[in-house]
Amino acid sequence: MSLITVSDASRHYGATSALSGVSFSLEPGEKVAIIGPSGSGKTTLMRLLGLQENVSAGSLSTLGCDLSNCSGKTIRDARSRIGMLPQDLGLVPNLRVIQNIILGRSGTRSTLRTVRDLLFPSKGDREDIFATLERLDIAEKMYDRTDSLSGGQRQRVALARTLFQGAEILLADEPLSAVDPARGRDVLKLLTELCSDAGLTLIISLHQVELAREFFPRIIGLKEGKVAFDGSPTDQEIADLYAS
Amino acid sequence: MKSARAMFFGRRWLLLILALVFAWTVARLGTNVVNLSDSADPWAASGRFISAAFSPSFTDENTTLPEGATPFLERVGADLLRTFRYAIIAMSMAIPLGLILGLFASELWLPSHRLRPVFNVFRWGLRMILSLIRAIHELIWAFLFLAAVGDSPLAACLALALPASAILGKVFSELIDEQSRSAQKVIRASGGSGTQGFLGAIFPAALPDMISYTLYRFECSLRASAVLGFIGIETIGLGISRSFENLYFGEVWTQLYILIGLVIAVEATGNLIRKRLRDGRSRTKEAAEIKETQLRKTRPKDSLVRTLGLTAALGIFAAWSLGDVLLKPAIFEGQRGERLSRFFAHITPDPVAPDSFVPTSEERSAAWEAGSDDLLPWIADLWEDPGKEALINTIAMSLAAVILAGAGAMLLLPWGMRSLASIRPLGLEMKVGKIRELLGLLVRGFFILTRAIPEYLLAFLLVGILGPSAWPLVIALAIHNLGILGRLWGEAAENQLPSQPRQVLTIGGSRLQAFLGALLPMSLNRFLLFFFYRWESCVREATVLGMLGVSSLGYYISLRQAFFHYDQIIFFALLGAGAVIAGDVISDVLRKRLRG
Repeated sequence: MSLITVSDASRHYGATSALSGVSFSLEPGEKVAIIGPSGSGKTTLMRLLGLQENVSAGSLSTLGCDLSNCSGKTIRDARSRIGMLPQDLGLVPNLRVIQNIILGRSGTRSTLRTVRDLLFPSKGDREDIFATLERLDIAEKMYDRTDSLSGGQRQRVALARTLFQGAEILLADEPLSAVDPARGRDVLKLLTELCSDAGLTLIISLHQVELAREFFPRIIGLKEGKVAFDGSPTDQEIADLYAS
Repeated sequence: MKSARAMFFGRRWLLLILALVFAWTVARLGTNVVNLSDSADPWAASGRFISAAFSPSFTDENTTLPEGATPFLERVGADLLRTFRYAIIAMSMAIPLGLILGLFASELWLPSHRLRPVFNVFRWGLRMILSLIRAIHELIWAFLFLAAVGDSPLAACLALALPASAILGKVFSELIDEQSRSAQKVIRASGGSGTQGFLGAIFPAALPDMISYTLYRFECSLRASAVLGFIGIETIGLGISRSFENLYFGEVWTQLYILIGLVIAVEATGNLIRKRLRDGRSRTKEAAEIKETQLRKTRPKDSLVRTLGLTAALGIFAAWSLGDVLLKPAIFEGQRGERLSRFFAHITPDPVAPDSFVPTSEERSAAWEAGSDDLLPWIADLWEDPGKEALINTIAMSLAAVILAGAGAMLLLPWGMRSLASIRPLGLEMKVGKIRELLGLLVRGFFILTRAIPEYLLAFLLVGILGPSAWPLVIALAIHNLGILGRLWGEAAENQLPSQPRQVLTIGGSRLQAFLGALLPMSLNRFLLFFFYRWESCVREATVLGMLGVSSLGYYISLRQAFFHYDQIIFFALLGAGAVIAGDVISDVLRKRLRG
């Protein structure tokens, strides 16, 4: 069974159609980039895949969970297996690195346990987080305040949070938007290598077409809420995608 | 073409409007600053008072005290401890209450589905209640709680705690709403609950600002606790008023110095903690090797913040468990219930109040049926005489005070600003400096001193010297707010980029020219924001300053209190609260327009 199945899915906001008749499926460990001009529906699709909102028509299932017929508990369980990397990274600036990473497991822990872990992290968690940060080359920052780190270090912290979470899918929404263009390649290299090592399925929305072609064998092009292509696009398909 | 808004906020227009408003306040409040009998000499009185500043007393000035009476300094120490204790207990009640209220007054918990407008109505209702509670001054709450629970320390603590929790609730709700939702969304998206999102992301992000504001509120509660002494509650204000009334000016100054010292120490500690919370601590020791245990051992820690946190916890424990019992035991069974019933009978408007002090529900409904037609005429009568006059006087006093405070702060600011008063102003070498630096120090010291003295206490002293008229109250309010505006305006001007004022200095301009030509126009909007914010506070304070014998709302409140007319006290308090809320709304609208 596919990890994600999208079948003729549409999403409307009032009279506005954000996505219309989208279909595709994803297998575990795949790496997919979603590209398209602004307003093409990339962010909406990411939200649907992350089970944050439901489709208006058609069906969408992530990790076997379809919002239309899943219980609240099943949805939370499924979400706890999905990692998010938003544009602004979603870190709490005045918390320590370790505390931000611990929050990654909120979905599998009770509220009391989360508060206790924030204040007094267990030995097991500390060791896991240290090992994760070592993989990302920022172990020495484990107890520093997050707002004292550089942009690149913060990105690694956000990645460490997803790894610690034990996610099976990583949804990265335009992770290069606040990154120096020269560093974009390094960030994607790190992301794809980490996902390969950890066996994560990576779905990333990008504006940088060349980088998408360099790192992702499968690219889904969205235009006006519809799938324009799915696979390895030709130059002509890319040109058509951005033609007004 | 300039917009109407630009015309309204044009600087010359603004100055003209302020001058006209001030002229109206003078016409309204009269020109008599001194109101003493012909035989009294205010200059001699103030001369005696001021000369005593240089010879504060360390022993009782009253030589006729019986043997075994508590010595002066011991008495002052006990008063000071009580002042501190009531403020600590009040804050320990206000913080959790403020947190809960703040959460429900914020937008955070509103659902996204179609019931959102319904919940939003509840949220706005709560915000209105918070505005009403904080609009009523601690002294008025103290009157009401003394009547409701009797002469116990609990009445003082509740009077301080209730408005503090409402103010904390309002500020906390704004801080919660201001935080980025991004981290919370990540927690929700990875299966976390709304509570986890709040406790893991929103609350920790808002916490430094919450602590910072709570520390400021503690300073305010400490000053308010001192002021409660002026209505007979045993805090340091009571000692000051007794010494002043007995003309023991040396004792007055000793107590003033101690109170000012305490307030300044609390403010300085608060500033230090604020800075530490904002900047965090950097690593002081490097780990010998990159190992989890080593990193943990050498993690940046702030021992000062930890020590002060522990001290605060111990202080709260001590305040609750040591000292006089908070609620004095009832002398006879049922006394508390009877007192509360009497209180509710007293606050029921006279036309619908039952005859009995402890009425049954039948008696209540009978009284309501008999007198409900007279309720509106009763309100109309109170409004006509003296409500309307008292309200206008209160507003005039607040306006006169804030305009005087603004003018004073504006005059002193160019001399007090740290960056201009430095030997190297704005980083430039200047030939002159030492005297200017000293002057800067004095002006900043004056700002600290004036904001440390509670306005009510200052007003009490000035009324004692100049006699009961509106102007001693206005001057007291102006002096206190001058200190606050001096600090707020100073910080706003110091935060501006220095390149423009420096440019004025590099082409040979003076520091005053750098202020008037660059710093003032650059900071004017921020200055006006703070000016309107202080006006709102002045309305609240002016409401109670009348208790010192001038015909504002406070005067009628204290007068009615003497006759147990708590229904009328509630009326005047609500009138004052209405003025404060109106001031709050006007000030909020003006501030938003200035920001936009």
